[in-house]
Amino acid sequence: MSLALLLGGFALALALGVPVAVSLGLASLAYILAEGLPLAVVPQKMYAGIDVFVLLCIPGFILAGNLMNGGGITARIVRFASAAVGWMRGGLGLTNVAGSMLFGGISGTAVADAASIGGMMIPGMKRAGYPADFSAAVTAASSTVGPIIPPSVPMIIVGSLSGISVGRMFLAGAVPGLLLGLAMMATCYLVAVRRGFPRQPWAGAGELARAFGGAFWALAMTGLIIGGLLTGIATPTETAVVASLYAFAVGAFVYRELPLRAVPGILVDSAVSAAAILALVGFANVFGWILVSERIPQAIAAGVLAVTDNRFVVILLINVLLLFVGMFMETIAALIILFVPLLTLATSVGIDPLHFATFAVLNLMIGLTTPPVGVCLFVCANIARVPLSAVVRAIAPFLATNIAVLLLVSYVPATATWLPGVLLD
Amino acid sequence: MRALDAVRRALELAFRGLTGIAFAVLIASVTVQVIGRLAGASPVWTEELTRVALLYLAAFGAGLGIASGDLVDVDVVRAAVPGRVARAMRIASLGTTAALCIALLPAAWLYTSIGARQSSPALGVRMDLVHASVLVLLAALGLFALLGLARALAGDDPVLDRAPDVPGVPDTPDASGAPDDPDPAGATARDPASPDRSGPTR
Repeated sequence: MSLALLLGGFALALALGVPVAVSLGLASLAYILAEGLPLAVVPQKMYAGIDVFVLLCIPGFILAGNLMNGGGITARIVRFASAAVGWMRGGLGLTNVAGSMLFGGISGTAVADAASIGGMMIPGMKRAGYPADFSAAVTAASSTVGPIIPPSVPMIIVGSLSGISVGRMFLAGAVPGLLLGLAMMATCYLVAVRRGFPRQPWAGAGELARAFGGAFWALAMTGLIIGGLLTGIATPTETAVVASLYAFAVGAFVYRELPLRAVPGILVDSAVSAAAILALVGFANVFGWILVSERIPQAIAAGVLAVTDNRFVVILLINVLLLFVGMFMETIAALIILFVPLLTLATSVGIDPLHFATFAVLNLMIGLTTPPVGVCLFVCANIARVPLSAVVRAIAPFLATNIAVLLLVSYVPATATWLPGVLLD
Repeated sequence: MRALDAVRRALELAFRGLTGIAFAVLIASVTVQVIGRLAGASPVWTEELTRVALLYLAAFGAGLGIASGDLVDVDVVRAAVPGRVARAMRIASLGTTAALCIALLPAAWLYTSIGARQSSPALGVRMDLVHASVLVLLAALGLFALLGLARALAGDDPVLDRAPDVPGVPDTPDASGAPDDPDPAGATARDPASPDRSGPTR
């Protein structure tokens, strides 16, 4: 009965449009009242959920991305990507994907990527003769690569839930991120050939070198982050703060496009974004504690294993469930609620936690480009000024590509575990 | 209504300031930690201060997430129903948020007071001052939910106003705020004073 109240209350609150964090709190409160438990358990578990060492780095990474974004990085990244791949058939589409991959190494958030790269690329692509729906679709699809390539806020959350180090999680996303980007570039090229999209003239090695020089300081931030984590010189929190200071220095003094008066606003906006995630984590910790005390993860694992213990099928089931949930629910909320129960199931059929964590994040990222709640779809349709339905049709080949890469990563564990194994073990 | 609006703006400004201060303390503390490490003498209190700063960053900032849209919700149903129903749902959502926070305040107060008997190991701060971050979080979240409720009842809701009226048909000419005629290979920059406010979580 209490459990029905918990799950039913949560679903009802979500459907009403109550914030996910508050829905988790409401459902937990209903359960605690029904069970006659002391209410003080709610603030206690919230406190314990937020006071986690790994989470300290979230505001820093968000700030670093926002400072870079406000400091003139997007244009430089797009220019470099254009010089590198713009000469191929469908070059601006390829530039769009490559730009997202490079931008992903700085911001780690898909919607920021869709808005920044899309804001610059979509009007440019339309002007160059690309259909608006394709321009929006390629931007939305490629933006999902951002939170796979390190740094990544969802990877940090997964690290806090699973106990896997942030550095290991970041590295696990690198190869799948590259695979995703390259596969989308291949798809973009094939679509471009079939539909006769234009190509840009080769701008020359000199332009490539100049564009790289312009983007170097921004791209170096990825190296700084990975280097800091790999060498063990700095903790993830220290790395995030140093990355923020670096982003500020590059934006204000190297590129000179980050006005000092804008910095306090960026700082506070980044902090509010982080605070909303932390509130979600706090309420989710109460909800998660109830799930664990009710042995729900074990019940889910036992239920599935009673039907099948075939690893191949279990991976497929997990992916179908996450794709479905990702269509409706925001990534971090879905991760916080489902990760621990599904991890129990995954490990019971011998799936490595690092591998599971990687394909779970990759899977939920795809949900950002699927209707009805594909946030990146909305952003890109708005920028391109086309109806959502047109973008949904145009994104189909990219969605198929992304799902193919998801299946590859899901069934070939080395795609996630090889790089951390080589560099950290 | 105008007076309430002024109160809301003042509170938002105050909480934005406090959130910024908490973040600045976090950054300063970690910077001291890094410099100390490089100098060979890292102070013991920095990690603890960083954690307290994070707790208060969450406490002061979470309530602001209601109006900014950072506190995400699932708006599938709301987007599919007529505007009047969507407005009623939004009012119910804000009311429920406020009710939850108010209901939890006594428990948060109890949890806070329990901390009075402890002090933190490195800073020596009384733990009730640290535990109070959850009390502040719930109070601020409830307060901003009530202010949002008053706004929504008056027909002025930033979250509802942001959503397109008909799903799939964009009503915002350019969501990015980017220039309409950029040069993809050039160096046109977006307004540096307007970074993306698109949220970090996706």
